[in-house]
Amino acid sequence: MKTRILGFTALVAVAAATVNGLFIVPADLNQGDAQRIMYVHVASAWLAYLSFGVTAMAGIGYLVRRDLRLDAVALAGAEVGVMLTAFAIWGGMMWGRPVWGVFWQWEDPRLTTTALLLALYAGYLLFRRLTDDPHRRAARAAVVGLIAAIDIPIVHFSVIWWRGLHQGPTIGDPSKILNPSAPPLFVLALMSMLAAFTLVWGYLMVRRYQLARTEWEIEEHGRLGRISAARRSFTTESMAEESAP
Amino acid sequence: MSALRRNATIALAIARKDALAELRGRQAVGSTIFFAALVLLLFGFALGPDSRRLAEAAPGLLWLAIVFGGLLTVARLHQMEADDGALEQLALYPVDRRAVYAGKALAGAGAMLLLGGLLLPVVAILYGVPLGAAWLPLAVTVILGSVGFAAVGTAYAGLTVRMRAREVMLPLLMLPIVAPLLLAAVKATVAAVAGDPFGELGAWLQLLAGFDIVMLIAGGATYGFLLED
Amino acid sequence: MPQTTIYVAPRLGGAHGSPPPAVDTDGLARLFGRSAALAGVSLRIEAGRTVALLGPNGAGKTTLLRILATAIRPSFGGLFIDGVDALRHPEIIRTRVAYLSHASGMYDDLTASENLRFAATMLGWSGAEVGTVADRAIAEVGLAPVADDRVGTFSAGMRKRLALARLLVARPSLVLLDEPHAALDEDGMALVDRLLGLWHEFGITVVVASHQADRVVRAADATVRLHGGLVAEVSGSGVRAGALAPVIPSYATPLGTIR
Repeated sequence: MKTRILGFTALVAVAAATVNGLFIVPADLNQGDAQRIMYVHVASAWLAYLSFGVTAMAGIGYLVRRDLRLDAVALAGAEVGVMLTAFAIWGGMMWGRPVWGVFWQWEDPRLTTTALLLALYAGYLLFRRLTDDPHRRAARAAVVGLIAAIDIPIVHFSVIWWRGLHQGPTIGDPSKILNPSAPPLFVLALMSMLAAFTLVWGYLMVRRYQLARTEWEIEEHGRLGRISAARRSFTTESMAEESAP
Repeated sequence: MSALRRNATIALAIARKDALAELRGRQAVGSTIFFAALVLLLFGFALGPDSRRLAEAAPGLLWLAIVFGGLLTVARLHQMEADDGALEQLALYPVDRRAVYAGKALAGAGAMLLLGGLLLPVVAILYGVPLGAAWLPLAVTVILGSVGFAAVGTAYAGLTVRMRAREVMLPLLMLPIVAPLLLAAVKATVAAVAGDPFGELGAWLQLLAGFDIVMLIAGGATYGFLLED
Repeated sequence: MPQTTIYVAPRLGGAHGSPPPAVDTDGLARLFGRSAALAGVSLRIEAGRTVALLGPNGAGKTTLLRILATAIRPSFGGLFIDGVDALRHPEIIRTRVAYLSHASGMYDDLTASENLRFAATMLGWSGAEVGTVADRAIAEVGLAPVADDRVGTFSAGMRKRLALARLLVARPSLVLLDEPHAALDEDGMALVDRLLGLWHEFGITVVVASHQADRVVRAADATVRLHGGLVAEVSGSGVRAGALAPVIPSYATPLGTIR
């Protein structure tokens, strides 16, 4: 029930923030309406980072406590994170076309970092599928999730320095809204979209976790069933031997 | 014997064992180096014949060849354990798993250092890049790059050695992780060869060193969980 | 024939009082994909006993030995070795258990001597003792003439002897053997029987699974027969089997507990 309330609130919040971002807030002078994409692009990127942080932390938690519920959290974080990352890249490309003239630009550190993020965690999800045993899978995934997470800051610095160590931000920098001198209306629009997205994120995480737990419980029930089947056939066999003359 | 000395002994014993096995089974080591050199040759066909363009691309091509050769190298170092069930015994010895990791990473770094060192003259010849004057910063770059690649590679090879589809899983996991290593190593190589006109070399080497340290710590901390079946 | 040297692990918990059971398992179960290799094994083995582990192929002998060696974790159930919780502290168990698996676990490109020296270093020996202990073990299994040959050139029987030599370099309180007689000729099998006798003499607990049922039963204090992942029969002294207890899942499922 509580989850439904969360979901409903999230829906309302996103609707409100979208209306605000599309119709109420004025367009940017330089970039025009394309700049509005930034409200969802930045929000989804930040929450993707948060998701992957959760995946890494939950993985460490599993290694310490061997509790498969933590692995379910890690899986939820990775799936929601990959979705948000893909969305962020798509948003970035949609923004890039009108503003830069191209869909992709190697010089933008955020775009390249996000693309690598997608590669890292899509790999994580693919890799999870190749191990059947739940504890083995959880342990291996925890290591991959952790190493991927600590790679991110290194990637961040490397792509920023890539453009040149002494260069300032270029014109057409998507993070203009994060500038301290940005118009307050823009900042407000971003913050409200971020809050709305966070609610959506929370809802998706909870639902995915519940789904993972249910999947696991069905799997576990199957495993227990196989064990009791083995025991039953054993007892039947020995009873048959005993009753045979 | 103190714990540190014991761990060092274990790590060295493992590295030594790996080195012996590598050198004895010399087909595998030589084949990997030959493969990497072939990759460099093929890049020439793919991007040439304009020698100026090739010379500009040389650092990137060098490190791509090192990365591809490196993937084969770290995979091989763990495959030798899996062949006769030696991996299971290795997991059961009463030793600190971090020492096992250190030994295998050391062996991996050594193998990659050999690979990188042998590819440098190949690049110099094929792409007409003068490397002689910058040998010291180049050596440091190759060392830092090798250690970093081996640090992550050892962990991921240990992780994938018993998995299905491990031949594709190892590169799939490794390539995104080593992207910053590749980037930094190439930039450092470019700076070194050009005589470091913008003073960037130090920053890139620091990034490499940072990558190395972070990955060595992460690898050492998690390798034990990967040895368990 | 020179005296064979056997190294024994020190007793845990002081010299007074009776030692804890060498092996104490409670409902050990292990699943591999769709099949239950072990479906609930509860055994208590007294210290110092030699136990023959019998049963048809697929009965779970190898899986049980691997779990006892801490090579794999059980899917369900608990395990105590020499009184130590093997699931919580496997690293302690690994200092006291020696395990002979199906595969010999050697490095083909290294010589027999190098393989054993490596094993000796990993098993805790240091300095000059590494060479002494390794050479002695190789001699005791009759491989001295080929000590400097690459293991890649060895036959299956020679590899098995080398793996037995590795057991002699360890300092165990529990020795686990999975088909030690396999691939060995009459001399080799006699060597295994001799080692079984020696381990028993030194108070080391031995659990040995072998198709050479007569040989191991003769050497053993007790026999445990597995079938379909469960204990079918226990005979002899020093081993007791527990009743089939309900399997406790990792976290309670709303679909009920399985009996």
